Amino acid sequence: MKGKFTLGVLTLMLSAGAMSAAQAYDGDWKRGRIYYRQVCTVCHTTELKKAIGPNERTQAEWAAFFKNDKHGKGKDTVKHFFSKQYRDSIKATNAAAAKFAAVPDNELLEDVKAFLNRSAKDGDAPAGCS
Amino acid sequence: MARIYIFKRFERFWHWSQAALIMFMLATGFEIHGSYALLGWQKAADLHTTAAWTLIGLWLFAIFWHFTTGEWRQYIPTGKNILAVMNYYSVGIFTGAPHPFRVTQLSKHNPLQRLAYLLVKLFINPLIWASGLAYLYYNELAATKWAASAGLSLGSIALVHTAAAFMMLAFLIGHLYLSTTGHTPLAHIKAMITGWEDVESDAAAVTK
Amino acid sequence: MRTGIFMAALMAAMLLAPAVDAASDPGSAKLLKSTADHSQFKALQQEFNSGPEVTKACLSCHTEASKQLHKTEHWKWEYRNAQGQLLGKKTLINNFCTTPVTNEAACNICHIGYGWKDDSFDFTSEVNVDCLVCHDSTGNYRKPAGLAGNVVTKEMEFPPGSGNIIKPINLKKIAQAVGKTSRDNCGACHFYGGGGDGVKHGDMDSSLASPDKALDVHMDALGNDFACSTCHMTQGHQVPGSRYAPTAQDKGEAHLRGKAYKTNPTTCQACHGQAPHKKIAKLNDHTDKVACQTCHIPKFARGGIATKMSWDWSTAGKMGPDGKPLTIKDAKGHPIYTAIKGDFVLGENVVPEYLWFNGTVTYTLRSDKIDKGKEPVRINHFEGSAGDGKSLIWPVKIMRGKQAFDSVNKTLIVAHLAGNDDTAYWTNFNWEKAAAVGMAAVGEPFSGKVDFVKTESTWPITHMVAPAKDALRCHDCHASGGRLEKVRGVYIPGRASDHAGWLDTTGWAIAALTLLGVLGHGLARVLASRRNK
Ligand code: HEC
Repeated sequence: MKGKFTLGVLTLMLSAGAMSAAQAYDGDWKRGRIYYRQVCTVCHTTELKKAIGPNERTQAEWAAFFKNDKHGKGKDTVKHFFSKQYRDSIKATNAAAAKFAAVPDNELLEDVKAFLNRSAKDGDAPAGCS
Repeated sequence: MARIYIFKRFERFWHWSQAALIMFMLATGFEIHGSYALLGWQKAADLHTTAAWTLIGLWLFAIFWHFTTGEWRQYIPTGKNILAVMNYYSVGIFTGAPHPFRVTQLSKHNPLQRLAYLLVKLFINPLIWASGLAYLYYNELAATKWAASAGLSLGSIALVHTAAAFMMLAFLIGHLYLSTTGHTPLAHIKAMITGWEDVESDAAAVTK
Repeated sequence: MRTGIFMAALMAAMLLAPAVDAASDPGSAKLLKSTADHSQFKALQQEFNSGPEVTKACLSCHTEASKQLHKTEHWKWEYRNAQGQLLGKKTLINNFCTTPVTNEAACNICHIGYGWKDDSFDFTSEVNVDCLVCHDSTGNYRKPAGLAGNVVTKEMEFPPGSGNIIKPINLKKIAQAVGKTSRDNCGACHFYGGGGDGVKHGDMDSSLASPDKALDVHMDALGNDFACSTCHMTQGHQVPGSRYAPTAQDKGEAHLRGKAYKTNPTTCQACHGQAPHKKIAKLNDHTDKVACQTCHIPKFARGGIATKMSWDWSTAGKMGPDGKPLTIKDAKGHPIYTAIKGDFVLGENVVPEYLWFNGTVTYTLRSDKIDKGKEPVRINHFEGSAGDGKSLIWPVKIMRGKQAFDSVNKTLIVAHLAGNDDTAYWTNFNWEKAAAVGMAAVGEPFSGKVDFVKTESTWPITHMVAPAKDALRCHDCHASGGRLEKVRGVYIPGRASDHAGWLDTTGWAIAALTLLGVLGHGLARVLASRRNK
């Protein structure tokens, strides 16, 4: 009981710390790379049966994808896949979701954007799936 | 017919647990050797080692028991009657002749048994033990100067251990069979379980 | 007591919470871990038009850096081994792309310098040292092939007239964001050795830039997240753990801080010590014969990127039906034949080969005579034996090839491969011309006769360490036909080829005869008792 309470406090403080860091947040492409590969790509290879390489699209196309905020044919928004709620739902089996469980949605989104921007077809360092 | 109590409780416990351990160690040992795959190598090796330590523990108790009770004398070899016993197993047993040896509490093994068990205790067992421990502690052994100068290799240790295991296997087969040669096929086995052996009445009289 | 400690720890954790969080968050960690924000330095607040300009700015503070780098193999591409052989990219020939010599403009983009296009390169120049290739943290630094390691700061067409546009990089941004070396930095070259991703080593490819735990327990991006330098502990820019000076067997203790060690800090033992197996202590008994890597790297090329297992140069030069250089791809779209390079065999999830290795590697040098009668020629080979007291059983990748040699002078050939000139093999598909230029450049005689010889090279497997649960199991080696079947000189329980055949034969024969004997005896007893009734 006591443990749970203190843990809660700890989590609060952790997220408070993270939030303060989120102001003027600069996307971290390396963390975005991890999230994109271990959350987005893992699902694409199982459900879509193929990975979507960052270099399959241009920077503008990726920007449009995030702006439309519609993920594929599904009803889900793209933001949904960055939400804490979504991370919580898969964190038992997904190491990246577990590790970044407490990271604000917006930061992860910026991270992945930074990665895709860098690795897009016309990015500074086009990158495939692996 | 009369019954005499010849195998005491500890002795029976020792015999049967040893029997089980030895059979189990033969089974796992030959798997480790690579003769077949049964439990999987790792499990076989693990269990073989555990069983070995158990057997060693059991033996320490047994040695203590043999010396404190004086039972070790049961294994002093004797030439007396040995030819008669051999004659019995090769001829008499088929013609229905009586066994030339009378079991008593002071002398529960016939001369042939004495010799065979002594061989197991003084030769096969020590050989298995020594080679087995050397096998298990090969790394420590190999690090000694002595082992290096003797050119001791794991292969040679394994060779001795395997050879001893084959001897034990042969003994086991013979022993299992001979246990059925009592006045009924199960007589000896029953005696080993209950401790009581049926003997001819006159013999019982001799035993006071 | 327990709860007391827990509470104390928790309180400490709460006090530190923001800092802890920041440290676990790579984004803000940079600010906290370094005392310097390079974007605030005047020297870096300028537009840079070339690499050396950036280096000059770096050197204005880091005065000794280039001097340190001049002493490294990364700079010299030369290394003299214990046998006195002169090794290094500058002189060696391998059985991949063979050698960078006369192909500098293409190959030397992986030199840590700017402008090594031929042997006029100035190895004493401090500004020609490339700081950014190792210290870029943006991942955007590029040294395009063909430009001798120079960077592009203004959009350019290359090769001229090809229509291929090279985008410029923003040196100012990159310079202002420099940091410690990461897997991405080292990987920019070491992942791509042999001319492409994963080609050369098999245990190093771009999948290690951001690997999961199953691929590498140490580099696991979500876990230990080791940089290369976590093991290759660099001081004064000298990187330990070179393949040219391998440690096959490390009998030292785990390295403690504050103690001075002369031994290689990159070995497993340098962290894990001599008895790392706590749960199954028996496993520690293997370390006198078996390298850690043998069990803990069950397969290489496990990250989804194939490595080259063989390369046959002798078939190069075929044209397709369209008259253009032929390319054949496998089902996954990876080339298995190209006109410029010949046939390849690719491998993923490859089971290594195993051999005794004592740390000595002997090379076939440019000037060494080779004997086609004794194929395969060993481009390099790992020495060692069961009995030398210095060897362990190591996993290796053996690269098998067939490459050009001078059939009269009996030496391996340096061929001029890349370039927009009349002699480059990749342009004109003429071995004799390419060899004449290549051999002349290195001052070796060339008879004019080119033939092909089978070659082999050996590469240690030491990265892609799997989690313990994926390590080899006992039966992988303790069996007949197991992983170590071909490794002789050691008794492996369970391996039939180690058995004394006579013992098994006699042993089973005696057991069988005893059984037959008692069965016969028993049968006779039964028959006799029937008759006696
Ligand atoms: C739960 C599984 C799953 C996850 C997680 C997932 N995707 Fe997808 N994604 C799909 C599927 C399935 C499709 C195929 C289109 C469809 O049926 O919706 C798809 C399609 C796409 C497409 C191509 C279609 C389009 O809308 O242009 C993009 C781009 C994409 N996903 C990006 C992402 C990114 C970025 C993430 C991570 C933040 C992500 N996906 C996470 C399952 C997933």
